[in-house]
Amino acid sequence: MHPDLDQQRSLARRLRELPDEAAQPYGWREFQRRSGARRRAGQGLAGGRALATASVLATASVLATASVLALGIIAVWTRLGGWSPHSARLTPQAAQPPAGRTAAMEHWLASLPSEPAVVHVGTRAAVTGLEDRIAQVDDLLSAERLDEAHPARLLALQQARTRLVGALVQVRYAETLADESR
Amino acid sequence: MPGRGWCATFCPARASKHPVTRLVEITVSHAVLARACAGDEQAQGAIYAAVAPATLTLIRRFVGQRAVSEDLFQDTMMSFYQRLPQFRGEAPLGAWLRQIAISRCLMYLRSPWKRLCLSLDLADFRLGAAGTALVTQDYRGESIDLERALAALAPTARAVVWMYEVEGYTHQEIARAFGRSVSFSKSQLARAHLRLRAWFEPQGNRPSCTLI
Repeated sequence: MHPDLDQQRSLARRLRELPDEAAQPYGWREFQRRSGARRRAGQGLAGGRALATASVLATASVLATASVLALGIIAVWTRLGGWSPHSARLTPQAAQPPAGRTAAMEHWLASLPSEPAVVHVGTRAAVTGLEDRIAQVDDLLSAERLDEAHPARLLALQQARTRLVGALVQVRYAETLADESR
Repeated sequence: MPGRGWCATFCPARASKHPVTRLVEITVSHAVLARACAGDEQAQGAIYAAVAPATLTLIRRFVGQRAVSEDLFQDTMMSFYQRLPQFRGEAPLGAWLRQIAISRCLMYLRSPWKRLCLSLDLADFRLGAAGTALVTQDYRGESIDLERALAALAPTARAVVWMYEVEGYTHQEIARAFGRSVSFSKSQLARAHLRLRAWFEPQGNRPSCTLI
């Protein structure tokens, strides 16, 4: 017999001869207790969940629409060369997005699971839409930095990014609250 | 009624040193099944005693972590009892339950976030932090090696190995369960075999290409 086939059969035999799981599952009574607890939790929160889902979806839709509009305006403005040296009258300190706050928001976002236990398509679409747009702005920022663009243009992009991250934080926060209320 | 099914239903919980019990081998007598379908709690409890250990073992082989396994086990058994009145007896009860358990596990493994968590756990395992995840002290030495080797596989590869080698699924069935191609199943299995062999074969005994 080919040594590979022989080894494969030996491996299969060894796998089948592995001992059963040493730790036994909980008993029938405990299973019934846990099943009852899950059912009660499901029934008690059904109404609240519907309400929370509706509010999350509404919030997500509004924020996503606003973010898309804002980004679109910035993109058109940037593309048409809307920036001029005279338009950058703001002092860098006043116009600079608060870096610490943005970092804190991003840190909080990174600490969340990539998706909640129960995923709602509408909310998820808003989240992925915002994440895509943040990635697009990041690309634009990288390109502008490489081209040594004017600081005011970079600033505008950074502000757009901060707004998008803020919108994402709000959607994810609402999503987290809805998830916890289940 | 001393049939095989009856015996399987009322056997005491199996000891940890017995070879792994395949769910598909567990059968339940028609009488107990009929009573359970009609809502008889005693019969339902008897079925639970027969199938629960093998179900948890199967789920544990797929996902590894005890806490996650218990969660999936609870889901599986709840779903099982909800659907029990619809069981038509076309396949053994254990095979039907196995299907429910495996679909729950695969749903869990398909989630990108869960995959990330499991791969992080795997990294911990490789560093030795969770090296006893599936191992107990009274296991034989060879079992420990194989348990460690299995635990070191990626969750998807481990699931494919277990479905093919122990549960007897074909490549076509595995591909359908994962929603992937047959070559996905074959390549996962081939790579897992290589890794498993490399894990527990002594360095000196490894076949060399120059031997041909």
